[in-house]
Amino acid sequence: MTETFPSEQVPSEPASFEPAPFEPKIAGFLCNWCSYAGADKAGAAQIPYPPNVHVMRVMCSGRIDPEFVLQVFRKGADGVLILACHAGDCHYKEGNYRAIQRHRLLLRLLGQFGIAPERCRFDFVAASEGEKYARVLTEMVENIRSLGPLVLDR
Amino acid sequence: MRVGIYLCSCGTSVSEKVNYDAVAPALAQIPEVAYVRTAEFLCSEEGKQFLQEDLAANRPDRLVIAACSPREIEGAFMQVAGAAGLNPYLIQIANVREQVAWVTPDPERATAKGSAVIRSAIARVCRHEPLERTELDACPDVLVIGSGPAGLKAAVSLAEAGRNVTLIDKAPVIGGLPVRYEELFPNMECGPCLLEPVMGEVIHGEHSHKVEILTLCELDEVKGYYGNFTVTLRQSPRFVDVARCVGCGACIPVCPAQAANEFDCGLKPRPAISLPFAGALPNAPFLSRDACLRSHGEDCTLCRDACPVEGTVIYDECERLIERKVGAIVVAVGASLYDCHQLPALGYGSLPGVYTSLEFERFLARNGPTGGELPLRDAGEAPTVAIVHCVGSLDEQRQPYCSAVCCSYAFKFNHLVRKKLPGSRVVHLFKEIVVAGKEEFAIYRHAVHNPQTRLIRYSDIAGVRVSARANRHVIEYIDSSGRPDEFTADLVVLCPAIVPAEPAARLQHLLETTPDRFGFFQELHGRVDSAQSKVRGVYLAGTCQAPMDIRGACDQGMAAAGYILSGLADGKKLQVSPIVAEVNQDVCSGCRICAGVCPYKAIGFSNERQVSTVNAVLCHGCGTCVAACPAGAIKGNHFSNEQILAEMEAILQ
Repeated sequence: MTETFPSEQVPSEPASFEPAPFEPKIAGFLCNWCSYAGADKAGAAQIPYPPNVHVMRVMCSGRIDPEFVLQVFRKGADGVLILACHAGDCHYKEGNYRAIQRHRLLLRLLGQFGIAPERCRFDFVAASEGEKYARVLTEMVENIRSLGPLVLDR
Repeated sequence: MRVGIYLCSCGTSVSEKVNYDAVAPALAQIPEVAYVRTAEFLCSEEGKQFLQEDLAANRPDRLVIAACSPREIEGAFMQVAGAAGLNPYLIQIANVREQVAWVTPDPERATAKGSAVIRSAIARVCRHEPLERTELDACPDVLVIGSGPAGLKAAVSLAEAGRNVTLIDKAPVIGGLPVRYEELFPNMECGPCLLEPVMGEVIHGEHSHKVEILTLCELDEVKGYYGNFTVTLRQSPRFVDVARCVGCGACIPVCPAQAANEFDCGLKPRPAISLPFAGALPNAPFLSRDACLRSHGEDCTLCRDACPVEGTVIYDECERLIERKVGAIVVAVGASLYDCHQLPALGYGSLPGVYTSLEFERFLARNGPTGGELPLRDAGEAPTVAIVHCVGSLDEQRQPYCSAVCCSYAFKFNHLVRKKLPGSRVVHLFKEIVVAGKEEFAIYRHAVHNPQTRLIRYSDIAGVRVSARANRHVIEYIDSSGRPDEFTADLVVLCPAIVPAEPAARLQHLLETTPDRFGFFQELHGRVDSAQSKVRGVYLAGTCQAPMDIRGACDQGMAAAGYILSGLADGKKLQVSPIVAEVNQDVCSGCRICAGVCPYKAIGFSNERQVSTVNAVLCHGCGTCVAACPAGAIKGNHFSNEQILAEMEAILQ
């Protein structure tokens, strides 16, 4: 990464007109075998959750390059959600452990850019956990909503 | 670029939330979009037929289908696309049912989200590349390492299916351990009776010409990969030509030298040339070089002179290196027992009358060192036999797992001891009792219903102490309530934990398979793929993978054969998925970080070019190496950085 991001800034003056309610944009990286299947389970059970998370399917959470996360923040996401198989459940044996390691490093890096750690959440969602998927998404959207938009000086 | 868009309403499942009438005109405005169609049930037979005909008529370069989850439907639509002449990897499914319509109650928001999902699919699909499955010639032949029940079952079923099998065993005989047991749990079947038919099948059965048996033989080197292994086998000399030997045994009684009989746990010596036990197969003696007088400077030829078939005893036979080409390898090398010397308080090795279960099996066997007599010294009418369960098992300091078979064979011992010596007492000292299975419970019940049986739960094996008193043993222990106590026994049988076999680590290194945390061969998946290793083409059967009984071992042998017969079909080429990682050799710096994160040992290294290489046959396409490469030199086919970033960018607009 060659770009540098200064600290997150609070929007300066409130606008004079009534602002539209803030709708967070969140990118979700889901592994194909557990978490994406969990998302489909939430669908099959028709458990409603906010539509703010845009899902990117990858075969394994081990595929999630930390650079993707930096890129989506740069491209305007207010939050990033990384969902993986539970420990020991990875379809590819160990990819989720790599994802956990990378997420930990990523949080330190995001801190240096002034991006709050809550904006990049890692969690485990199994193929059976439709309810958990809906809960994690709802919590994430609410958390980001309360944090407000991510403002980066580009 | 001409992208064809198909919006499936799934009846009203999607369209009652995602308003396609509003979405379609906007999509049509995207420059890359050639046309937008709506359909009601695109996954139905009529729907797929419509799709195929429409694709053939319109010939788009790319295809986006807004429908249900790709996990449900992608494969079917890939087939339709392929049938219509479009490369099946040039399609992208937008999941507007499970992840939009069904979870977003507000139609306006559902429509907005659905539109974004479809737009991102369009952005991604424009960057898709046509990919082809590749096909490789594959050798259908199989190497089976180990000839216990698991290896035998695999070899027999593969041979029955017409495969050439090379079956090797490091021992001079086949059959593994159970062939040396007089009777097997749970039904007291005789071990040789159970296994000899299977052994007979590989030695002289209808399909035996398909099985090459190499005894005294070990794996020395492995090159290549699934479908194309070249293995080098190292066979030690037997000094007896198995093909010529008629099995008369005339050489055995004339031999003046003695060797420890490792097949009887060294409990009784045997002649230097001998069969390890009566009924051993192949029915040809073998000569122990170290014990033979010829190795000690004497020109003894008594065995050769006694042999009625000239040229059968070959004193100058040498070690041989044998090369074979095989497509798959079955590892069935079995396991070992925990070394009871590690628990000196149990008296194993220092006190007479303390034996491991394996030694005790040989005492029970009529072809064993005592002809089936228990090794009692001075027991009188009714001896007491102490059986100590969980020696090294269920023990955080030693082997934390349950060894799965010990309780069952311990209760078998209970039955056999009482059969041999009615009135004898059997004391089971255990930490836990595990007797699972629909038949096994009967032997437990049979044992506990016997008034001469005592069950004592001890708290810790470290608190069990065996000491000699007169001609008997005193066994001190602390029971599970913490109370110390003792009893006297004439014979002590230890049930040691089942641990990885001695050659496991060497074989794991040769085959590049990984050990689990206990040292057993690690399976691909503990429940659904326990007979496969993580290396494609290397299969696991029996106790090399985990402690298990004969049934489990035979099942895994059959499972390994099944994997090979379905995956490595004779006369068919090996299909290799194109969704794999590829190394750009011009960018790779040769740091090998990728090789360290690959769970499948699919990444090798070119010494010539000093770069990493991915073996597409072994790669599972997870992409972990792609994310790990610091140089960005690895591309994940169908999940490239460019494709993922395009999808992200479109979705965040």
